[in-house]
Amino acid sequence: MAAITATALEKSFGTIAAVRRIDLSIEPGEIFGLIGPDGAGKTSTFQMLAGVMEPTSGEAAIFGRAPRDARAVTGYLTQAFSLYPDLTVDENISYTAALRRVPPATTADRASRYLSRFGLASFTSRLAGQLSGGMKQKLALACALVAGPRVLLLDEPTTGVDPVSRREFWSVLAELVADGLTIVVATPDLAEAERCHRIALMHLGEIKETGTPSEIRAGLGARRLELRTPNLSEAEARLSPVSSDGALLDVQRVGDRIDVLVRDGREGRRLVESTMHAASLPITELHEEEPLLENAFVATLRRLGHEAAEPSWPFQHARPTPAGDVALAAHALTKRFESFTAVRDVTMSVRYGEVYGLIGANGAGKTTLIKMLCGLVAPSEGRVELAGSHEGIRSSAVRQRIGYMSQRFSLYDELTVAENLDFFAGVYGVPAEERPPKRRWVLEFAGLEGRSDQLTGSLPGGWKQRVAFGAAIVHEPSVLFLDEPTSGVDPLARRSFWHLINRLADAGTAILVTTHYLEEAEQCHRLGFLVAGDLVVEDTPTGMRRRQPGARSLEDVFIAVVTARDHQAAGTEALA
Amino acid sequence: MSRIIAQARKELTQLVRDRRALVLALAVPVAQLFIMTSGISLSVNDLPIVVQDLDRSAASERLVDAFRSSITFHVVSWPDARQPEEALMAGAARAALVIPEHLGRDLARGRATPVQLLVDGSDANTAQLVSGYAQQVTRAYDSAEHGGGAGQVLAAVRLWFNPGRSSTRFYGPGIFVLVLSIFPALLASLAMSRETGQKTILQVYVSNISAHEFLLGKIAAFVVVAIAEGLLLAVVLRADFGVSLAGEPTAFLAGTALYLFCVVTFGTLIGAAIPEQAAAMQVVALFGYLLVFLLGGLIFPIENIPIPLRWVSNAVWGRYYIEIVRDAFLRGGGWAAVWPQIAAIAGIGGVFYTLAWSRLRRMQLAV
Amino acid sequence: MAATFRGVSFDRLRALARKEFIQIRRDPRLAMTILVQPIVASLLIGFALNATVSQVRLGVADGSRTAESRDLVSALGESESFHLVGGYASSALLGTALGRGDLDAGVLIPVDFARDLERGRRPTVQVILNATNANTAAIAQGYAETILEDYNRRRRLDGAPAAPASGFAPAHSGSVQLQPAFLYNPGLVTSWFIVTGVFGLLMVLDTSIVASATMLRERETGTLEQLLMSPAGTTEIVLAKFAPLFALMCVMIVTVTAVLRLAFHVPFQGSLGLVWASAALCILCGIGIGTVIATFSRTAQQALLTAFFVNPSLVTLSGVLTPIEAMPRWLQPVTVISPITHFVTIARTALLKGGGLAELWPHVAALAVLTLVLLTLSVWRFRKQMA
Repeated sequence: MAAITATALEKSFGTIAAVRRIDLSIEPGEIFGLIGPDGAGKTSTFQMLAGVMEPTSGEAAIFGRAPRDARAVTGYLTQAFSLYPDLTVDENISYTAALRRVPPATTADRASRYLSRFGLASFTSRLAGQLSGGMKQKLALACALVAGPRVLLLDEPTTGVDPVSRREFWSVLAELVADGLTIVVATPDLAEAERCHRIALMHLGEIKETGTPSEIRAGLGARRLELRTPNLSEAEARLSPVSSDGALLDVQRVGDRIDVLVRDGREGRRLVESTMHAASLPITELHEEEPLLENAFVATLRRLGHEAAEPSWPFQHARPTPAGDVALAAHALTKRFESFTAVRDVTMSVRYGEVYGLIGANGAGKTTLIKMLCGLVAPSEGRVELAGSHEGIRSSAVRQRIGYMSQRFSLYDELTVAENLDFFAGVYGVPAEERPPKRRWVLEFAGLEGRSDQLTGSLPGGWKQRVAFGAAIVHEPSVLFLDEPTSGVDPLARRSFWHLINRLADAGTAILVTTHYLEEAEQCHRLGFLVAGDLVVEDTPTGMRRRQPGARSLEDVFIAVVTARDHQAAGTEALA
Repeated sequence: MSRIIAQARKELTQLVRDRRALVLALAVPVAQLFIMTSGISLSVNDLPIVVQDLDRSAASERLVDAFRSSITFHVVSWPDARQPEEALMAGAARAALVIPEHLGRDLARGRATPVQLLVDGSDANTAQLVSGYAQQVTRAYDSAEHGGGAGQVLAAVRLWFNPGRSSTRFYGPGIFVLVLSIFPALLASLAMSRETGQKTILQVYVSNISAHEFLLGKIAAFVVVAIAEGLLLAVVLRADFGVSLAGEPTAFLAGTALYLFCVVTFGTLIGAAIPEQAAAMQVVALFGYLLVFLLGGLIFPIENIPIPLRWVSNAVWGRYYIEIVRDAFLRGGGWAAVWPQIAAIAGIGGVFYTLAWSRLRRMQLAV
Repeated sequence: MAATFRGVSFDRLRALARKEFIQIRRDPRLAMTILVQPIVASLLIGFALNATVSQVRLGVADGSRTAESRDLVSALGESESFHLVGGYASSALLGTALGRGDLDAGVLIPVDFARDLERGRRPTVQVILNATNANTAAIAQGYAETILEDYNRRRRLDGAPAAPASGFAPAHSGSVQLQPAFLYNPGLVTSWFIVTGVFGLLMVLDTSIVASATMLRERETGTLEQLLMSPAGTTEIVLAKFAPLFALMCVMIVTVTAVLRLAFHVPFQGSLGLVWASAALCILCGIGIGTVIATFSRTAQQALLTAFFVNPSLVTLSGVLTPIEAMPRWLQPVTVISPITHFVTIARTALLKGGGLAELWPHVAALAVLTLVLLTLSVWRFRKQMA
């Protein structure tokens, strides 16, 4: 019998259809991934499977029983873990166990087993709110396991968690499945999708494809070429027109290389080489790889016509500063709070025309660092240089040249899209005659033409982000801060964001991006890894990978760096 | 049952860890009780009065002395050139005694002599008190002057239950009820709306705990806190205001326990209905202060409320509890006196519980 | 770049203010607070809160049962102040009824009542009052004594024995007839005192709650960061927040005034302009109080909790519902720091008594000083937070 089934499952909230007729069949003992961006319907599906929400129509079953009746064997990890931050680790576990009527002896036994397996045994009297992201996630998992479930539903369990913890988490999942548990994971992260036995790609409430990751990748019937050349934007421009005739399926700039999706490896190589030669562009490197899941997802979305608009940005003002100059620099920046040091002695710089990626897990200090660089927070030590200014970084003149898009978005929900854009234009002093073309641009970029009178609060996450991005650049800043700009956004939208980011950089804007998605980091010119307040390594993506020969991805590099650092710290401690 | 205890224990742990909530639960109610009991009173104890003596005879001076030496009034000087009404207008005095020109002569001739007392009527209640007290002073003056006359009836006034005319003995229990009606409800509603607002309630739903167990666990925890508050308040009432229990306390204790259940259930109901904490608080405040304070007869007598509103008053739970409390602190009537009120409170509490339970019955997301 | 004045750009100010207005306009709870709640609160409080003592429930135990005693009983029964519930056979029964709460007052007429009167002696009638509510008892006592006084006076005029049997020679046999004249409020309408108090309460407290919510809204949604990153200076941000709030709360002044006039028929003897100007100052005070509370709180919920403590205390200490002179001596000076106290005095003196600046200037001055202090404090705190 299948562990979990869903038949024509639907859920609508008023007029909004969150889940549209999905069918699922998940076998016992597998790790199944429900993959999709924000707004895909993953959480609603989970809530129906967990028996905490009635579907509008259709049925679901857990081992043949209705979800509501099967709650005793279902474990559900919600987004944001649903722990009680003001209870200790022990208290969270005993409360959850008591709710589930687990006998005290069994609770004690299971709790000690899982807590020590997860490395939480020495933290039993720590408040859950004081645990790091990775530990919280493990505690939440322990709470779910104490009840001895047969099915585990995990809703974005690793969002914002550092890669080391994420890897540990997945190895735990593999062990649990070996013990007989059935696990369903929801995530927007395509790299994580690779770790599942089978996945379903979900978008706007529908399941587009189901299968094992390799099936889906193979289903593309394509190969991926990695092309490296010094003139990336020109190469991209030259190659793009070629993709429409079918031999080159997709061209995408990824950081310091271009990925070309081709139907046939050899044929594709020839085409690329000849195009580059015709344009007199040198090829530094060109080799063949497997396509990525991201390619598959994008191809599916394209097939369904979800292409994102990419109107050209109506620049009005010439660049006053030459590319190559330092736009933004930190010198020995430190920030201490009462109980801990958030940022420790960080020195880095970003030049005009450069995209710098600041990588780190939640709680590593990215947000604090960015706030110090913006001038929002005063450093405990060190100094900041911003847009040519040292002391007066909080002045109106400097802020006029800065663009900022915060993580939680910066738009007013009660205002319409048009009103928000007018507000930003007004506050940033955009001249009246420039406002209409720029407003049109933002609406087109966000796919909201004709809907400028919609209340911003009613827009789904991905669209709000696009509007926020547009609002952040409406005054043509020369330095741009983007704090997690594409979290939860679908792959196509992510591409158009990065196209725009690249184009802005090409026009001379200095851009600082933070993210905890290492795949996205590939898009940057330079990267800095931030771990517990320390900038542990800084290099180009290619340089990073070269530091760790044998690393297949930036994530491997990151984990290697962190592990080495921990060993070093332990070593110095042992010596001391 | 074990789930109820587990739920209650979790709530109490969370409360104890949250310092601000603890302050709210214990310190603020006490502070409120203290401030409000000290500050609220209708009995003006110091009435400034100006006197315009147009007679200046021995008799009139004795009359002025009578006012001067009274405890309730104190005579303030006002320049003769200015009109006595101006003192009222300026707020310098509550009343102005205008002694006519021939008072001494008229009194000696045995006439009933009119003396005008101008009273500031803007505060109607105090104006009545002023008038009453002034009458007492002139009556005493008359008695002293001529023995009061033959064949006159004397009044001997006895004050029952509060011979000291202490305001705090009346208002103290009222504020006690007000504070106990609001703060436990507030805490309960905040805890409940935080669960639903932050979605931690999803884990509760997944655990298939029943609505009864969940509710009773939450309510039990906050009733415990409320009892602690009540004890603290009672101690303050006793220590600072000398208000203590008269008579046998079991009816009071039972009534209090039921009332706190009623109040906490009310708060939980609001918290379940409104997942946004700030909004839930405003509703509790609205019902708490407005209804209990206004229509419960805590400070101002219920009898004065216009009839249409008085019907609403019958549904206000505080109205019954205040009678229980007043009886316990002032009269000592016990079960015989207050069993109907106890029954009413139990009934209202039952209604609230049923409403809260029906709201949570599905133990599912309500969309 | 368009016009600026000392670094404040009017363009930016306009954009900021327009945003505030739109936000306020689209907030449904705000409309409730500005329009509905003041009206409901003043109506409810004005009609429900009434200290008037009338229809005191009276029981009589007439031990004498003579014409004279029945005369007295009917005098008591006919008065508007008392509601004669009934006669009781004995003082014990009267006492029980009082104890049970069936009566508020009792009158015991002794057996020898009529005989004593005839003989020129002075019989004593016991007036027993339920003094649980000291105020009610004091007023009821006043009523009872007035009725007895009238009874005595009628007996004198009707020719009661003039010469006492004991040969006591009085200094004079006249008596003082006190004639109270109630100025400003001849009808002794209790609601006038209360609703003028509520006026002050609403101006300051409602504004304070709305102001906290507005100040905190930006911080909670995270848009404050965005504002701080924009070229807008703190002066512009503060002005843009305060000004629309002030304008909107001024609407409340008009609504409440209308309720006072139309529902409660409060007279407007003096200058309404003075009252409105003071009300405007109160609103500024409220904005100040609300902002200070907001800067000490991290969430809207915490601000509301603080308000829960501050507001009832302010109400108690400002003479809103109960007179300040009734407070204990040591507490009375504290009332001076509450803006509500001053406004309420201004409102009552101006509206009910017809007073003007000549009498009220100390309160107006105090109000102005408090406004200045609160606004300065709040701007300073707000800036400190944003820096």
